[in-house]
Amino acid sequence: MARAGSTPHPRLAVVKLASCDGCQLMLLNLEDALLEIAERIDIVEFPEATTHHSSGPYDVVLVEGSVSTPEQLEQIHEIRREAKHLVTIGACATAGGIQAMRNWANHEAFRAAVYAHPEYVESLATAQPVADYVKVDAELRGCPIDAGQLMEFVTALLTGRRPNLPDEAVCAACKRAGRVCVMVAKGIPCLGPVTMTGCGALCPGFDRGCYGCFGPREQANAPSLSRQFVEMGRTPAEAGRFFAGFTGYAEPFRTVLTELGGVPGTTAIASAGPADRDHSATGASPRAGGK
Amino acid sequence: MTADTTSASGFLPRAGFQQLIDLLAEGGRTVIGPTVADGAIVYGEVRSVADLPRGVGSEQAPGRFRLVDHADERYFAYAVGPTSWKRFVFPPTLTLAESHRDEHGHVSFGPARKEIPSLAFLGVRACEIAAMGIEDRVFLGGPYTDEDYRRRRAQALVIAVQCAEPGGTCFCTSMGTGPGIRGGHDISLVELDDGFIVTAGSEAGAAIVGRLALEETTADQVMAGADQLAAARERIGDPVVTAGLHDRLLAKLDSPHWAEIAERCLACTNCTAACPTCFCTSVSQRSDLDGHAATTERQWDFCFTKGFSAVALGGNFRPRVQDRYRQWLTHKFATWIDQFGTSGCVGCGRCITWCPVGIDVREELDRIAPPPEVIAGDGHAAEARAPRTSVFRVESVRRETHDTVTLALSTEATPDWEQSRGEFVMVSVPAVGSIPISISRRLPTGMELTVRGVGPASTILTGLEHGAEVGLSAPLGHGWPVPAAEDHDIVIVGGGMGFPPLRPVVDEILSHRGRFGDVHIYHGARTPGDLLYKEELAAWAAQGDLDVGVTVDRADATWLGRVGVVTQLFDQARWDGSKAIAFVCGPERMIQATVGTLGSHGITQDRIFISMERHMECGVGLCGHCQVGPFFVCKDGPVFSLAQLGDVFGREGI
Amino acid sequence: MPQTESSTPRTEHDAEFVALLNATWFGANLPPETQVRLAALSRRYQAPAGTTLLTEGQLANELGIVLSGRVSLRTLVPEQGWITILTVEPGDIFGQSALVPPYRSTSTVVALQPVDVLAMDGPGLRAALSADHDLAAVLYPRVLQALARRLNATRLQMLDLFAR
Ligand SMILES: Cc1cc2nc3c(=O)[nH]c(=O)nc-3n(C[C@H](O)[C@H](O)[C@H](O)COP(=O)(O)OP(=O)(O)OC[C@H]3O[C@@H](n4cnc5c(N)ncnc54)[C@H](O)[C@@H]3O)c2cc1C
Ligand code: SF4
Ligand code: SF4
Ligand code: FES
Repeated sequence: MARAGSTPHPRLAVVKLASCDGCQLMLLNLEDALLEIAERIDIVEFPEATTHHSSGPYDVVLVEGSVSTPEQLEQIHEIRREAKHLVTIGACATAGGIQAMRNWANHEAFRAAVYAHPEYVESLATAQPVADYVKVDAELRGCPIDAGQLMEFVTALLTGRRPNLPDEAVCAACKRAGRVCVMVAKGIPCLGPVTMTGCGALCPGFDRGCYGCFGPREQANAPSLSRQFVEMGRTPAEAGRFFAGFTGYAEPFRTVLTELGGVPGTTAIASAGPADRDHSATGASPRAGGK
Repeated sequence: MTADTTSASGFLPRAGFQQLIDLLAEGGRTVIGPTVADGAIVYGEVRSVADLPRGVGSEQAPGRFRLVDHADERYFAYAVGPTSWKRFVFPPTLTLAESHRDEHGHVSFGPARKEIPSLAFLGVRACEIAAMGIEDRVFLGGPYTDEDYRRRRAQALVIAVQCAEPGGTCFCTSMGTGPGIRGGHDISLVELDDGFIVTAGSEAGAAIVGRLALEETTADQVMAGADQLAAARERIGDPVVTAGLHDRLLAKLDSPHWAEIAERCLACTNCTAACPTCFCTSVSQRSDLDGHAATTERQWDFCFTKGFSAVALGGNFRPRVQDRYRQWLTHKFATWIDQFGTSGCVGCGRCITWCPVGIDVREELDRIAPPPEVIAGDGHAAEARAPRTSVFRVESVRRETHDTVTLALSTEATPDWEQSRGEFVMVSVPAVGSIPISISRRLPTGMELTVRGVGPASTILTGLEHGAEVGLSAPLGHGWPVPAAEDHDIVIVGGGMGFPPLRPVVDEILSHRGRFGDVHIYHGARTPGDLLYKEELAAWAAQGDLDVGVTVDRADATWLGRVGVVTQLFDQARWDGSKAIAFVCGPERMIQATVGTLGSHGITQDRIFISMERHMECGVGLCGHCQVGPFFVCKDGPVFSLAQLGDVFGREGI
Repeated sequence: MPQTESSTPRTEHDAEFVALLNATWFGANLPPETQVRLAALSRRYQAPAGTTLLTEGQLANELGIVLSGRVSLRTLVPEQGWITILTVEPGDIFGQSALVPPYRSTSTVVALQPVDVLAMDGPGLRAALSADHDLAAVLYPRVLQALARRLNATRLQMLDLFAR
């Protein structure tokens, strides 16, 4: 191939919003490969590994975490301007993450209940996936992301091919691996059929149903699956609650769990549905002030 | 199976069964058979009778499987579980090939070296033998064979067991595949309470049976075996009426029912994964970080995924679940018959049991096709006919447009395909992928390819320089029937990137200009900057004996040529199409519009040939991606007459 | 219309123009008496490349048939300049706004090559069409056909078939 070997190394930055750092750690966990990668990619910003900060533009920015504060909202727009390819990593960045569960709650009431001085805590009414605010070029799903997929992404970046990140259901990997379906053989509710593949069907391999941490796949037929959970003997609210995991804020999980009354914490905090989206960066929800 | 095997038969008392397992395992063979795992009957390694599901049966219903205890000692008193034998002859993931690229850009391609394990399949049911026969046709019966399958299949011993315990989702009786065993095995077993009636079905089987400590089979034992088979048949009944199913299913392509099923279907792929005959695959590249050493990995793919029918720039031929379900069901029960002369369904019931929402094909098919002939494949293809990748070098590059180039490629190896009328080649870029590209000119030592950079692989091709190397398959598919068009007027319509495959047609006509009547060549592109072969088109137009029309969809004020869609080049033309043959290629919607206009000139459907685009992975009829109704676009096309395509052409979601 | 109107051209001018009409897609195979009527309403002109034949928004006084050469239908798009929507090829019509109220041209028509045009007087043609229903009955379908063809083509253009 007469492809250039002399082109400068791609510049990559890792940026963190509201998240637990677990996904960044996956990058560090690549260990041996990380050195080889560092010889081929300039990793210029990486809060977990360096304190060194440099400015854009970047070829690739990996964004971890959801947008939860006005500051992060500003930051994400800035990142978008600086990034040729913006890639979200992990359930928080791609679907809102576990913190998006608060989106169903009365934001002000929640803050008042949790913090002694809520007036000092600046946060948006909702925790949103990055794609709700800016264009995202690619996603690495999961909570945390999968090391194999990360490696595939980096290799594809360096070799110029499209990363092989299939959009099929977890079931496809489950079946290639020769696992026995836990839904059919054991009656265990499993989100595999509506969840994006990528984890290698980990949970069904441990005799558990998939928790959906990679989020909804394309054409995810969550209503049909929830009906099947009811058919298998769960109450509608129980069936709905299966969808309320790390990616419950992503459609169509969000609708199913809202409609079936599977919203978590419903007994503690009154809620009717996800709070209205608030882009105003003031932190004041239009529905705030209740109680 | 030609051996005289009648003598090798007898009764094997239950206590002697370990001897059979041991004999099968001789010479390093691994015995694969039923085991209990994860709440189901799963095929796995069997070293001793203790590994077998003794006294364990199954209870099966749509979306439900449960193990149940039997009071007896039987090993095979279950109906088939989630595993099918296909995973041992057609592994779910497989390294197909290796490629290398050195610092100087030299490339090489070769098959992956791998050892083929020697296996014995213990406990194969009649429906499963039929499934193997079907897979033999798919992988060994076409113009190209699947080499890995051929080798795995050829060495596997098949030890069949007569079915005595059908499950609640079985319908082999309807599909004509079971429950009785009728060939395709090396040894068959009829399990009775105290032992097995053992019969050899092949020479290899006879050699083993001859060494077993057998007793004489008694008439009572034979009767008992026959009775339990009859009882099994009785229990299954005949749940699917198959008479006329093929036609009736295809007549229902527009049924609202497909959308209704899609309300329930999860598009989860469990049915296809469980199916013992589904054969579709995709390939992807794996490489080191520099892309110097790469492997081509193949894995099972399923027509229920979006990526399955996706093409470049976000196109997708089956975007909806209803399209995908329809593809699956009509392929299984109808178009499979057109492709392989047999139904793709053997009635094993796996897709019903293992569908998480319990969609039952027996119910969904309220109609019937002729029972498939029972086919007992022997797993042997006459010879390996695998597509080979040869290294070609770029001799010259001509830039056509901002994103499109024409590469002239040649090879040192004497091409064995000079006579081939194939229309396209699979172009392999190590570590990136393999994509279908049409031959845009045949050269004495190679060919020209005109490539538009729309994604990773095609963009790399457009950046190649003189001396660069790529891998090319032999020309594939059925090309344009130019010789048959002699003595006719010719109408060539190429829209956008649909023009390159038509260029060899023009070349061929020009080399025998006198054999053809009037020749009209029409090329439409998006903008003036997207027009291909501008100088050649001008030269053809200047030649005087060709009618050449060029138009663009959009133009600025500097363009002095025609503006309008390609059909406007000839919708008012005065020529008479009654003696014309048309060759058309371009985006599908453009082809549709063109076909209408050609029709209004009196060109009948049997005289309109079009080239179709579909997602392709293998190019040789083995991966399943490119299917359109009963056709594989790669091997039956990509050039089809409209008459041949019938109402498949232009149908949504097909 | 007077019933006495003949279907044979009476003047040399008419005979020449009937022959010209017959050589075009638009005019061919119209009944002879229609052709004679149209011929009587027509003039013929030549224009060099670059001539603006009609201007968007201005009165369209003539229905033109391109006899040879190529004309472009253009419109001005802010920030893109003049965009050619369509070219009109020999045999086809332009200036059909001459038949449709308010009789103002919907695009600017510019000769891309030297053109030879047969032009029918707009007001005269409109008067003839409203008075002579037989004429209207054969001419309007032809105009419709030309417009439908353009509509279809425009629809395909809008799909931007080659974009993907
Ligand atoms: C019979 C045939 C002849 C073709 N001839 C030409 C030609 O002469 N010149 C040319 O420029 N292009 C041609 N194409 C289209 C070309 O194959 C695609 O543009 C190419 O596959 C895109 O691959 P990519 O890796 O560059 O882009 P990606 O965006 O990665 O391609 C999309 C993905 O779809 C897969 N794919 C499989 N089949 C197709 C398909 N038919 N179209 C698009 N994607 C596909 C690719 O493997 C890839 O993974 C032809 C296609 C077919 C089916
Ligand atoms: S266990 Fe879950 S992921 Fe696996 S096939 Fe069943 S439903 Fe799908
Ligand atoms: S039919 Fe059943 S098993 Fe098949 S894709 Fe649909 S839901 Fe999954
Ligand atoms: S079957 Fe593989 S591309 Fe046609």
